[in-house]
Amino acid sequence: MLNMRCAQTMKQRSILLLWITVFAVLASGCTARVGGSAAADRGRGNSLVIAVGSEPEGGFDPASGWGLYGSPLFQSTLLKRDNDLKIVNDLATDWNVSDDGLTWTVHIRKDAVFSDGQPLTAGDVKFTFETVRDSASAVDLTNLKEVRVEEDYAVSFHLQQPQSTFIARLITTGIIPEHAYGRKYASRPIGSGPFLLKQWDRGQQMIIEVNPEYYGEKPGFEQITILFLGEDAAYAAARAGEVDLAYIPASLSGMNVPGMRLESVHSVDNRGIMFPYVPSGGQTPDGKPVGNDVTSDPAIRKAVNTAVDRQGLVDGILEGHGSPAYTSSDGLPWWNERAVIEDNKPEKAIALLEDSGWRDTDGDGIREKDGRRAEFVLMYPAGDVIRQSLALAAAEMMKKVGIRIIVEGKSWEDLEQGMHENAVLFGWGSHDPLEMYNLYSSSYKGVEYYNPGYYSNPAVDRWLDKAMHALTEEEALVYWKNAQWDGQNGMSAAGDAPWAWLVNIDHLYLVREGLDIGRQRIQPHGHGWPITDNIAEWQWKQ
Amino acid sequence: MTRVMFDSVARLQTRSAVYPIDYKRRSLLILLTAAALLMMLIMAGWLTNPDALSVQLDQRNLPPSFQHLFGTDWLGRDMFVRVMKGLLLSIQTGLAGAVCSAMIAAVLGIASALFGRQADRIITWLTDLFLSVPHLVALILVAFVCGGGMKGIVIGIALTHWPALARLIRAEAMQLMAAQYVQVSRRLGRSLFWIARRHMLPHLLPQLTVGLILLFPHAILHEAAVTFIGLGLPPHQPAIGIILSESMRYLSSGMWWLAVLPGAALLAAVRAFDVIGSHTKRLLDSQQYERL
Repeated sequence: MLNMRCAQTMKQRSILLLWITVFAVLASGCTARVGGSAAADRGRGNSLVIAVGSEPEGGFDPASGWGLYGSPLFQSTLLKRDNDLKIVNDLATDWNVSDDGLTWTVHIRKDAVFSDGQPLTAGDVKFTFETVRDSASAVDLTNLKEVRVEEDYAVSFHLQQPQSTFIARLITTGIIPEHAYGRKYASRPIGSGPFLLKQWDRGQQMIIEVNPEYYGEKPGFEQITILFLGEDAAYAAARAGEVDLAYIPASLSGMNVPGMRLESVHSVDNRGIMFPYVPSGGQTPDGKPVGNDVTSDPAIRKAVNTAVDRQGLVDGILEGHGSPAYTSSDGLPWWNERAVIEDNKPEKAIALLEDSGWRDTDGDGIREKDGRRAEFVLMYPAGDVIRQSLALAAAEMMKKVGIRIIVEGKSWEDLEQGMHENAVLFGWGSHDPLEMYNLYSSSYKGVEYYNPGYYSNPAVDRWLDKAMHALTEEEALVYWKNAQWDGQNGMSAAGDAPWAWLVNIDHLYLVREGLDIGRQRIQPHGHGWPITDNIAEWQWKQ
Repeated sequence: MTRVMFDSVARLQTRSAVYPIDYKRRSLLILLTAAALLMMLIMAGWLTNPDALSVQLDQRNLPPSFQHLFGTDWLGRDMFVRVMKGLLLSIQTGLAGAVCSAMIAAVLGIASALFGRQADRIITWLTDLFLSVPHLVALILVAFVCGGGMKGIVIGIALTHWPALARLIRAEAMQLMAAQYVQVSRRLGRSLFWIARRHMLPHLLPQLTVGLILLFPHAILHEAAVTFIGLGLPPHQPAIGIILSESMRYLSSGMWWLAVLPGAALLAAVRAFDVIGSHTKRLLDSQQYERL
């Protein structure tokens, strides 16, 4: 009996625990409403405390991807994008591309010095790009054949093939010092950027301060503390008045925090449904099944694109903080407005399906064609609530037109296993048009997460290759746009519709009243760090 | 002196005459009430329309009302239906897990007594091994090895909840094995299987029944715990642990009903099983007492 009693006390203990949880829930629900105003008038000094996302665990080494999203803070780059996403000089004073597109020559400014006082020269640029290329990490520089130092302050890049998107590498790669680069660089960065790393408490915060050697306009704050908090914790910190800027999820956007205002920043942080484009039966080299007999029918893909109510998703799931997405690059310079289609038109989708032979013959509400039901599996990463919500809501919308979407939450490992034969709710969004190439070019079929649906269209491929091999980004823009929709072909919903893009998620930040964070540009994938892109412009309003 | 003795005997007699009936009646009443509550929960899970689980974005985040008893969640799904379906799933899992566990416990406990010292040593070692690892850890391990999903959780619960009961059964079976009539039976040439079936099982049945019922709340809580940490089921399935873990995200926005009502429902179900188990035990024990 002793064991029984033991089991019983254990049970009582777990019941007690449950009650405690319930009360804790109640209590925190109540306390959330008080507090807040207490420390609202903190700040207005020379320092700033912000909570913008997760810790860059790999440290601050551009060779391992630091600076891809958001400002590299400690390093500066050859070129940069302004708040309109136009390309402007940073370290560069002048740059040009040879007529064959193979040689890029960049002249750099002579007054730039690293924070240790050493001048920044062409040798450092060469060293940086060679290091990044050889580290073969987050940044793909395989097309870079060699870097040559032309003069002390001029450098030339020699490519294997012309590549208009090479410019993005000049925009995102922070220059590292050849003389002070070593194993510890990632935790003790030295660079020519606007800030210095003063302190980094792993798992908690980092403190940065103004770099007195910086050649550009000095930032408005001498010291900025960046806390590494989750979304909920960041919100709590904002309520308590402990931070001047916090990133928050859409579910908390309705809450009013005294002393803070809500800033909603547009983004190309998009979410969409990727359809397997080819019929079933294929296999990847490592044996994963490829293709889906339902989604390979263009009528199904177009019907989903036409019937889905994108604005409804924005209002219902993102609490209005987002915009309908029609391509992977809405609002960016290489976006084609003509790729926008009419959506929330179930009757049009039904007509489309009827015309191509999808009819509900057995009256179960799901259409059939040649004995095949109009149903497919839509997978989403199980940990992501927004994608889960989007998947469920989209599935609900498709019921109306007689398409059954079976929603399945999976781990990333399982997703990788099944992403070539099932539809997947993916998210992308980048300031580099290379992403578009990777998503839609037939040469990227089944490469990592790019083009998992095995989409290919020779006409689209031609435009993409032309854009890729154009000499400059301006010249490439037309080709990028044509790849989306040239009037006859295209990889947008107007054309082959290998994706049904659903929404762009606005990035939400609580900002202290009086803090001017400048004009925010359209942010890429990733909520939080991209807001630091123009951190040097921030200041208190007069 | 005699008077005093007589008095106390009389008091004893009246108590033994009145007490069991009163006691039994009360136990039975409580037991039936708890069972009725459980049946209601199960019926609610069976009968509610799964269409209420569909996403309705225009009805999201509603507080409890007569239309939505438990309110709605951030996708406009009716929380009452989700909770009832989740509890049904929990109870089913608990049933499968508890029955398997009890069976394992019975087989191992009896085998321990029947097959001599060597077998006993192995089984005791196995029991201690499983008892030394916390249930939840072993459960997660087993569920993970079995590839997650509902199947993994059921197998996990079945394989982790037997040791306590197995120990109990073993002790009782040992005692029975030493009883004279069992010894006689053996001398008369009855097979071990016959002894297990005719002598052991009928005697152990009350223990097993009570043990089985008391395993239920354990199994249910552990199912909730495992789904709470996100192991096994996809997050859009209605399971009580998933519902509770979702609700954590809405704490700071003050949507208390997402956590409190499902938590209370789980508590009610677990408590009901607990009450049924302990009162069944009392009823069966008093029967044993009477027989003696």
